[in-house]
Amino acid sequence: MEKQTIVITDLRTQEARDALACFAAQGWEAVAVPEDVCLWDEAALSAFARPFAETLTAVIHPAPPLLVCGFEQADEALFERAGNEGAIAAWCVTKVFGGIFREKGSGSLIYLNSIHAEKPVGRGFLFSMGCAAAQMLAREANQDYGPDGVRTYFVQRGISQDDPDGRSDVSPLYFGVDLRYPSRRMPERGSLNALLAFLTTPAAAPLMGSDLRADGGMTMYYGHRRKVEGREYYERK
Amino acid sequence: MRENEDRVALVTGGGKGVGAGVVKALCGAGVRCCINCNANPDMAENTLRLVREAGGEAFIFQADVSDPAQVSAMVDAVVERYGRLDILVNNAAMQPNKYIDEYDAASLQRLWNINIGGYWRCAKAAIPHLRRSPLGRIVNMASVHANRPTCFDAGYSMTKGAIRMFTRELALELTRDRITVNAITLGGCRIEFKTGHPKWDMKSPLEVGNPALRGVSRLVEPGEVGQTVLFLCSEAASAITGDCIRIDRGLVLV
Repeated sequence: MEKQTIVITDLRTQEARDALACFAAQGWEAVAVPEDVCLWDEAALSAFARPFAETLTAVIHPAPPLLVCGFEQADEALFERAGNEGAIAAWCVTKVFGGIFREKGSGSLIYLNSIHAEKPVGRGFLFSMGCAAAQMLAREANQDYGPDGVRTYFVQRGISQDDPDGRSDVSPLYFGVDLRYPSRRMPERGSLNALLAFLTTPAAAPLMGSDLRADGGMTMYYGHRRKVEGREYYERK
Repeated sequence: MRENEDRVALVTGGGKGVGAGVVKALCGAGVRCCINCNANPDMAENTLRLVREAGGEAFIFQADVSDPAQVSAMVDAVVERYGRLDILVNNAAMQPNKYIDEYDAASLQRLWNINIGGYWRCAKAAIPHLRRSPLGRIVNMASVHANRPTCFDAGYSMTKGAIRMFTRELALELTRDRITVNAITLGGCRIEFKTGHPKWDMKSPLEVGNPALRGVSRLVEPGEVGQTVLFLCSEAASAITGDCIRIDRGLVLV
């Protein structure tokens, strides 16, 4: 695969850190946006991005970490935080880096997001709203920037490596989480790296504008009819 | 309808357009309504007059849904006047019609605060009362732009996508309270005016010369949306929750 120059906007999730390490290991120039650069501050993000403008080939914008918060617990401060981290940051990254790619006539915007853009889980409604907003932004960016050579992709990862033992009072999604996968085990760390690397390249152009669900099959799996020896399907771990 | 005789609804943005169509449909079926308005009180007065001429019962409450104190006061006023709240129709929204590049953080945050923040605040204030209702209902007005990108208004699409997931998450959380939460993904609707102005000359499929599309090119009427809301609020719709019902005459299928 041709060497790429990639910016990853947020390293707070394990998937993002794994991708950065993988790209660096194969000799690509992979840079993370420093934590002190606010992702919804257009001026600050532009100042960070400018030195990379000439060589940059792709940007990966991960969703923020899951904000665990039921409807009853949400307040104005959490609402504002979730909106900024989930939606406004995605817009700012799109405008800044999409603008760079538009001027160059090429580049990939990859939203490394979550199944929460489609699947409710009852423990993060503010987070899910931000994911769905980013999903629609990715689709709109494909419309708006696509004709200028910018490729956009929206990746829905499954349950994050950071959050394998999460609990919900209203959804069985996290109960016996390994059994939620057809393969009966969570995807291993780094399992998204190859997909992300592919999406940074022009070879992925036929997929532009698409939603790619990379969740190990869990969202479309409703449990096997056969009992797993010693385990009930909805057994709490 | 007999089941609606004692019921009470709050319709945000109920003074004009789609909201007014919902208010008329609910009041026509015997539901007592609070018509929320903010920027256009004259149009809300006109809607109230039409409701009363038709024998319905309603009142107007002017409130900005981006202000939690005003939302709280509005819900309190409904319960003080009618003694209960059974139905919340979240509809108040703005649509600036901007491209991605034309937004700045402040304008997008303002849109977020109204279009999805208003829905969340009204739901939060209403739910304690909906829990006491035998048929608690929330209907969120979304848009076909919750799923389909059109280069029409990126910020608006983001907020409508968020409403899609807000609806699903809230439906899941409220199943134990037997409150249903649904959304309507609305296509082109005949309303008085929009809050933003498209930068291009919009043409219907019929206008661009394909007579085969005559059926889908007709705008949806607010009253038609109102009838769907009325159904979702009925006992017959008790099994429907977390859904997004598209009303667009099939236009997005074209």
